[in-house]
Amino acid sequence: MSGPERRFNAVTGTDGPDSAEPIGAAAIETTALTKRYRRATALSDCTITVPQGRISALVGPNGAGKSTLLRLLTGLARPSDGAARVLGSPPRQDPAFLADIGYLAQDVPLYRRLSAEDHIRACTKLNKRWDAATARTRLRELRVPLDRAVGTLSGGQRAQVGLSLALAKQPRLLLLDEPVAALDPLARRHFLSTITTAMAEAEGRLTVVLSSHLIGDLERICDHLILLAESRVQLCGDIEDLLAEHTVLVGPRKDTAAIEQAHTVVHSTLTPRQSTLVIKRGGPVIDPAYQAEDISLEELVLAYMGAAAPAAYTHLTAVGEDQ
Amino acid sequence: MTWLTWRQYRMATVTAAALIAAFAALVVITGLNMATQFHTAFGSCLAAGTCRFPNDDIGLGGGPLGFIIEFTLAVPAVLGMFIGAPLVAREIETGTGQFSWTQAVTRRRWLAVKVGWLLLAALAWGGAVGALVTWWSGPKNAAYLSAFNPGTFDVQGIMPAVYSLFAMALGIAAGALIRRILPALGVTLFGYFGIRLIIMGWIRQHYMTPVTTKFSVAQAVPFIPKGAAWQLAQGVLGPNGPISLPNSASVQIIGNGFPISAVPPVCHVHGAGDQTAAILSCLAKHGYAQYVTYQPAYRYWPFQFIEAGIFVAFAALLIAVAFAVINRRDA
Repeated sequence: MSGPERRFNAVTGTDGPDSAEPIGAAAIETTALTKRYRRATALSDCTITVPQGRISALVGPNGAGKSTLLRLLTGLARPSDGAARVLGSPPRQDPAFLADIGYLAQDVPLYRRLSAEDHIRACTKLNKRWDAATARTRLRELRVPLDRAVGTLSGGQRAQVGLSLALAKQPRLLLLDEPVAALDPLARRHFLSTITTAMAEAEGRLTVVLSSHLIGDLERICDHLILLAESRVQLCGDIEDLLAEHTVLVGPRKDTAAIEQAHTVVHSTLTPRQSTLVIKRGGPVIDPAYQAEDISLEELVLAYMGAAAPAAYTHLTAVGEDQ
Repeated sequence: MTWLTWRQYRMATVTAAALIAAFAALVVITGLNMATQFHTAFGSCLAAGTCRFPNDDIGLGGGPLGFIIEFTLAVPAVLGMFIGAPLVAREIETGTGQFSWTQAVTRRRWLAVKVGWLLLAALAWGGAVGALVTWWSGPKNAAYLSAFNPGTFDVQGIMPAVYSLFAMALGIAAGALIRRILPALGVTLFGYFGIRLIIMGWIRQHYMTPVTTKFSVAQAVPFIPKGAAWQLAQGVLGPNGPISLPNSASVQIIGNGFPISAVPPVCHVHGAGDQTAAILSCLAKHGYAQYVTYQPAYRYWPFQFIEAGIFVAFAALLIAVAFAVINRRDA
């Protein structure tokens, strides 16, 4: 899907924005995407592919570059280096491109003094393709008052307004930046089911990228994973494949050289009696001293985040090593 | 876009309309009053054609309202600070730009519609205030011949509308560049008054070459330019140019201000009779003359249009800057 030829095009931009988009192409494809600010690099060398029709979990510690990546994909921010192709073309200031992107920024920035109805009416004027009726129905079903100033709504209601506005554009790519962070469990469930319903209705035409810290939620609805840490991509791919490739080994504490030779050790947790290793398998595990276990998404994410963590955090994962 | 603009500025529009209506009521009541006062004082002399202006015997347009009228100088600044500066800066500060700039409308189009309406509103509000003040000041201008005075010129005619346009553009550009409301507001305030002050104090008098009228050094009643002219300088010219008064506390003068110390030896007249007249006629013979340098009253409207041109050009430049930065910088 992301052969060298397409990558070449993404970098040089020779494959113009109006070129026909191949069926089954990637919804998002970035090549060495980098964003530097005056003081720090928010995202470096980010190369990822998200196929169409997927719902991708964007995870990583705070400050890993998740918001920056999403903003680069919308075109609100411009890359310092590298290139992105979103729905077949570089993000740009063009009504046709903007019409296909639904974006819900962190903390749901809406006009606080305007009501949900005002936002719906404004968007009706701003977008040619716009499904106001569904947005109203959805908000009424969730008992979100349409006529009250958005600033007076609860966090959950506001998030639902933001999501409904983003969905009413009938976008082909929906980018959601920590939309459920402030929500209680019930509101979160409503929110996530709204997304899955929209996915089902779109019949494969909609791709979603959802950033969150709540891996349990993501595990339920996502089938693709992008893991950022320290402003770099640590993992990107199909969740099922990633889980199948990785294994947790639990065994006595002993020299792990043999394991390291056969597999890639992502992360190890050592206690005086036992060691727990997360490995990317290079073949079958044959050491009988170790017990091989299937890995959960949370374990996988934590292992990679731990591996990329700055030195200051390493003592947390190495508790008891010297006892 | 227009709908959203209207929805967002609905309250501001209503508030501004209410303020202008209240101001208009005050202006009309006191303005009619002042017109009556003017006709009572000058009706008969106007009919006979014997009025001498400027006439300071009559107190017109004083009191608190006179103060308010002077303060309409600040109307453009208020528009620029509180409507212009937050236009882009608020979108960035509150993050709502991330919402409005990801709808199917480009940032340029968004800015074009908003800027268009805000500039139009600035012209309308500034124009309304200017028209009211101009009408109200009619009797004052006639009695005091003060139309060219700084602080009068600036609140009448087309200037309030033009300054409002400029201040709005300045606020919009400052907000787009600085992207934070408070600093943008400060820059608008100081930028507006700074530029206005420089133009008013040092540039305006050079819009057109001033007229210099010379008259005899012996003439007792000095020449006064007709009507509400803007007098820039007056004094005495010698054969080698203007004669300046010595910089000491007490200077002995003769005539309309000729320093005795500057009288050349040829004209040191001694003896009986009117020495002053003799000295002055001697000076006149030797090429000394009085002069007045001024911008004639009929240049009032040309000056208004020249200054309007300058500020409209500034406004255009500032709006161009706002358009240049809105796409180039990350939202």
